[in-house]
Amino acid sequence: MLRPAPRRTRRVQRRQQTLAGYALLAPSMIGVLGFLLAPVLIVIVLSLFDWKLLSTPEFIGLANYRELLNDDDVWHSFLVTLYYVLICVPGTTILSLLLALLVNRKLRGMKYFRALLVIPWMATPVAMGLVWTWIFDPGRGALNQFLGLFGLDGPAWLSSPLLAMPSVAAVHIWQFAGYNMLFFLAGLQNIPASLREASSLDGASPVAHFFAVTLPLLRPTMLFVLITNVIGSFQAFDTIFVMTEGGPGDSTEVATYLIYDEAFRKFDFGYASTISVLLFAVILVVTISQFVYFERRTTYDFS
Amino acid sequence: MSRYRILPYGVLVAGCLFAIFPYYLTLLTAFKGPGQLFGTAPWEPGLPPSTAAFDRLFGSGFGGYLVNTVAVTVGITVGQLVFAVLAAYAFARLSFPGRDVLFWVYLSTLMVPPVVTMIPLYLMMQKLGLVDTWAGLILPTVLGTPYAIFLLRQFFRTIPADLEDAARIDGAGRVRTLLSIVLPLSKPILVTVTTLAVVANWNSFLWPLIITSSEDKRLLSVGIALFKSEIGVDYNAVMAGSLIALAPLLVLFIFFQRFIVRSVAVTGLK
Repeated sequence: MLRPAPRRTRRVQRRQQTLAGYALLAPSMIGVLGFLLAPVLIVIVLSLFDWKLLSTPEFIGLANYRELLNDDDVWHSFLVTLYYVLICVPGTTILSLLLALLVNRKLRGMKYFRALLVIPWMATPVAMGLVWTWIFDPGRGALNQFLGLFGLDGPAWLSSPLLAMPSVAAVHIWQFAGYNMLFFLAGLQNIPASLREASSLDGASPVAHFFAVTLPLLRPTMLFVLITNVIGSFQAFDTIFVMTEGGPGDSTEVATYLIYDEAFRKFDFGYASTISVLLFAVILVVTISQFVYFERRTTYDFS
Repeated sequence: MSRYRILPYGVLVAGCLFAIFPYYLTLLTAFKGPGQLFGTAPWEPGLPPSTAAFDRLFGSGFGGYLVNTVAVTVGITVGQLVFAVLAAYAFARLSFPGRDVLFWVYLSTLMVPPVVTMIPLYLMMQKLGLVDTWAGLILPTVLGTPYAIFLLRQFFRTIPADLEDAARIDGAGRVRTLLSIVLPLSKPILVTVTTLAVVANWNSFLWPLIITSSEDKRLLSVGIALFKSEIGVDYNAVMAGSLIALAPLLVLFIFFQRFIVRSVAVTGLK
C-alpha cells in the first residue's frame, strides 16, 4: 500500500483523480447520455408534436395519444406483437431448458454438440430470414419438399395469414434456443450434485426432482432468460422485414415495423414517436412485472 | 452402448442437424446454377458447382458492401472496446464525486430499446448533417455500450488493487498500469466483450437501413435485405449473398469456438 500522504498532497491527489475519472468517462458519457438517455427524453417530447416531413413541428399536447387510442392499426400491431412474444418466449425458454438438461450430461464429444447448437445465435438475422424464406417456399422449398416425401402437401407458410406468424416466430426460436441453453447450462452446473443424491435416497423420481428442486433453483437464470427474450422479441424487426414485410395483409405487422413504416416511409415523426413511447412503456411494465414476480419467490445461494 | 446413451445421442444429433441445416442449404443453393435450382432437391448438391450467382452478385457491387461491413464492424468494435475499457476502469478503480450516480444512470440505459431511440437519433444526425455519412453510421454506438462497460467494470473489480499499487510505487502512471497490469489480466472478459460486439455490429440492420441511402455506404445486411425489391426473388443470388454475410462469423466461430461458448455463459451471471 502507498504510505499516507500529507493532507495537502492528498487534496491534490483527490482533485487529480476526479479529473482523471471524468476524462476517462468523457467519450462514453457522450455515447450513453447523448445517444441513449437524451433520445428517450426527446422521443417523449416528439410525441407531443405534429411533425410530418417538411412541415414545421407544431405542439399539439396529447392529441397524438388520443389518435393512438382510436387507431385500429396500432391496436392490431400491438396484439400481433404480443402474439409473436407469446410464441417466441415460451418456445425458446422451454426448448433451451430441455437442451440444457440434455447437454448437461457427461457424454463423449459433448462440447462439440454444445458448440453446434450455439451457432445459429451468430447468424445475421436478415440473411437467415431469407434462408428460411427459401426453406418455407411453397413450391421448391426444403420443408414442403421434405413433407412431399411422405405424400404430404405442405401449405404456403409465409403467405397464409394463419401460418405466417408462427413460421416467422419459429425462426426466432431456431436462432436463440441454443444460445439460451448456455445460460441454463451454467445454472444447472451451479446446483450441487449432493441434492440429486438426497432426492434419490428419498426415492424421488428424476421428474419429481426436476420440478421440486432443479426448477426452483434455476429461478435466477429463468428470470434472466425470460427478460432478455421478452425485450428482444417485443422489438422483432429484421426477420419480419425480409420474410413477410408485415404481411400477408397486416398479419405480421409488429409494433417495430409499424413505427419504422410511420417514421421512415410516411415521415410522420410525431405519431411514430407516440407509438415508440407506448412500446417502451409496454416493455417496461412487462419487464418490471417479471422482476416483481420473481423477487417474491425465494432465491437460493450456494456460493 | 445402452439404450440410455443412444437416446440422448440421437436427440443431440437431430438437434445439431436442425441447427446446422439452414447453413448447409445456403451453401448448396449458392453454388447451384439456375437450372440446377429446380432440377435438384433442395438438400442435394448441384453438380458441377456453379459460381454464376457470385459473378452476378459481385457484378452488382456486392464486393463493396462486404468491404464496408468489415470496415464498419472493425471500426465500431475497436471504438467500443477502447471507450468501454476507459469508462469501466474509471468506475472500478477511481473515486470521484458523482461516480456512483453516473454508474446507475449507465445501468438504467441498458433498458432502452433501440427502436425507441431510432427516431430521435435520426433527427439528431439530420441536425448535425450526418445523414448518409460514415460518421452518422458509427457515431451512436462507437463510444461504448453500457453493457460492455458493466461487464468490464465487474471484472476489473475482481483484480487485486495491490498489484496496481505496486506498479504505481514504481512510478507507472494510470495509463501504464491499465495497459500493463489490468488488461493482460482481463483477457477472458475482453474476449467476451469483443465477441458480443463483433456479432452485434456485423449483424446490425435497422440503424444502417435508416441512416444510409447511397450505395457506396451500403452494408451487407442492408444489401441482402433490399435484394427482393432490386433483383427480385432469385434464390441463387439471395443465398450467395446470405452465404457471404454468414460465413465470416461462422469461420470466426470455428476458430474461437471454445472461448465463445465459455464467454457467452459468463454474461448470464449476475
